[in-house]
Amino acid sequence: MAKPVVIVVGADKGGVGKTTVSRTVLDYFNANNVPTRAFDTESPRGTLKRFHPEITEIVDMTSTSDQMKIFDTLNAVVPSVTVIDVRAGLLSPSLASLRDIGFLDAAKSGQITFAVFHILGPSIASLDEIAETANFMQGAKYFLVKNFINNTSFFEWDQATYNSYFHRIKDATEITIPKLNEMAYEQVEVASVPFLKFVANKGMNEDAANYSFVLRGYVRHWLANVWSEFDRIKLTDLAGSKPSGRGGEK
Amino acid sequence: MSRTPVYIICSPRPLVGKTLVARLLGEFLLLKDGAVNAFDVNLKEPALLDYLPGITETAEVDDTYGKMALMDRLIVHDGITKVIDLGFHAYDEFFKMSDEIGFMKEAARRGVAPVVLFLADTDRVSARSHATLRQQVPATALVTIDNEYVVRGELPEAFSHGPVLRIAALPVFLKTYIDRLTFSFTDYLRHEKDQSTELHQWIRRNYLSFRELEQSLILREP
Repeated sequence: MAKPVVIVVGADKGGVGKTTVSRTVLDYFNANNVPTRAFDTESPRGTLKRFHPEITEIVDMTSTSDQMKIFDTLNAVVPSVTVIDVRAGLLSPSLASLRDIGFLDAAKSGQITFAVFHILGPSIASLDEIAETANFMQGAKYFLVKNFINNTSFFEWDQATYNSYFHRIKDATEITIPKLNEMAYEQVEVASVPFLKFVANKGMNEDAANYSFVLRGYVRHWLANVWSEFDRIKLTDLAGSKPSGRGGEK
Repeated sequence: MSRTPVYIICSPRPLVGKTLVARLLGEFLLLKDGAVNAFDVNLKEPALLDYLPGITETAEVDDTYGKMALMDRLIVHDGITKVIDLGFHAYDEFFKMSDEIGFMKEAARRGVAPVVLFLADTDRVSARSHATLRQQVPATALVTIDNEYVVRGELPEAFSHGPVLRIAALPVFLKTYIDRLTFSFTDYLRHEKDQSTELHQWIRRNYLSFRELEQSLILREP
């Protein structure tokens, strides 16, 4: 039986696209037939839950009962992958909590596959976050995500400075999320459906929708590019699965 | 026809006869089908709109709103043929967007048959653009227009792939005549009693070419 997989998506800064990246990860696993569940720590609002209500639960990562809800069930439930969308500012504290409950040690000893998607913002503060997060990364797969979806330009970064932070973490892998047409992004927000359903012109309940062909085309193209990044890092391998022939891609 | 044709008349170069072809095709389809929707993507200097205001509307591909307004209509299989007069300013953006949103594949799925009518010219930009377009558009759906008034002589080697539709050059005085905004090709055919005139034969030859083009479309329907 495959080891349980926990993927934490987070950043200490807000508005860098954590939930967007979480949504693409959930769509990716869905398209590859990997059973997945998600936890949204943006209590009580739950943006991720709005897009993936059937598999998402809103939790408070700092409460012991919710920590139990997530981690004590890793081996007991069917989905092999657990995605945790960590709210802004809680990445480092959450990792500290995971260390305290012995989760990081379990990952280090190979009982659990643990991956962190660290979403970087354009500011130097994001680089400091890397240094802070690096302390928790032994035994974890660490992905640094440069998110260009909102047309972010990483203008404050000097490449040499970035590299000096990047190389502090052994085996860190960089992922690039390309820009998505603003109106297409906005329409998916309004529709409140997963990207995959938007591309397939479907509503939340599989009912036929009437989204713009142009916007669906932009989302399809963008999602295919994001997924090619996930293919590159062999994301499905984490769950002991192989990328399958997927629908919805160009 | 069981599919809805969408004719995209284009060239990356100005003054190669795009609007002339769009006018001819628009009038031919109107005569044959009784209905046609034409789109003038020449916002800087609308041209087709001036000639065929009854069936033409302006469109743009500069922003997402414009792209949606145009493409969401082109992708509809409603039995009404569409003609797009694509200005050279909009050429790159249109085909970049069409490639990105997968227009050709989605059109095939929905019973829409896009046909690109590419106006040839002797310059390198045209040759390169045609080569690029061949990667995006199926060979049978990419028709080169050999406008004798522009190419003047043998069609360059770069355009030797796929079907070619030839448009003969008219004498300058006749060209000036048909360039008048009030001129209608179909009205001329209807009202000019002398069928032996050069213009009469020129219009009929072009209408016949369009008919043959349509037939070839029907023949390649799945």
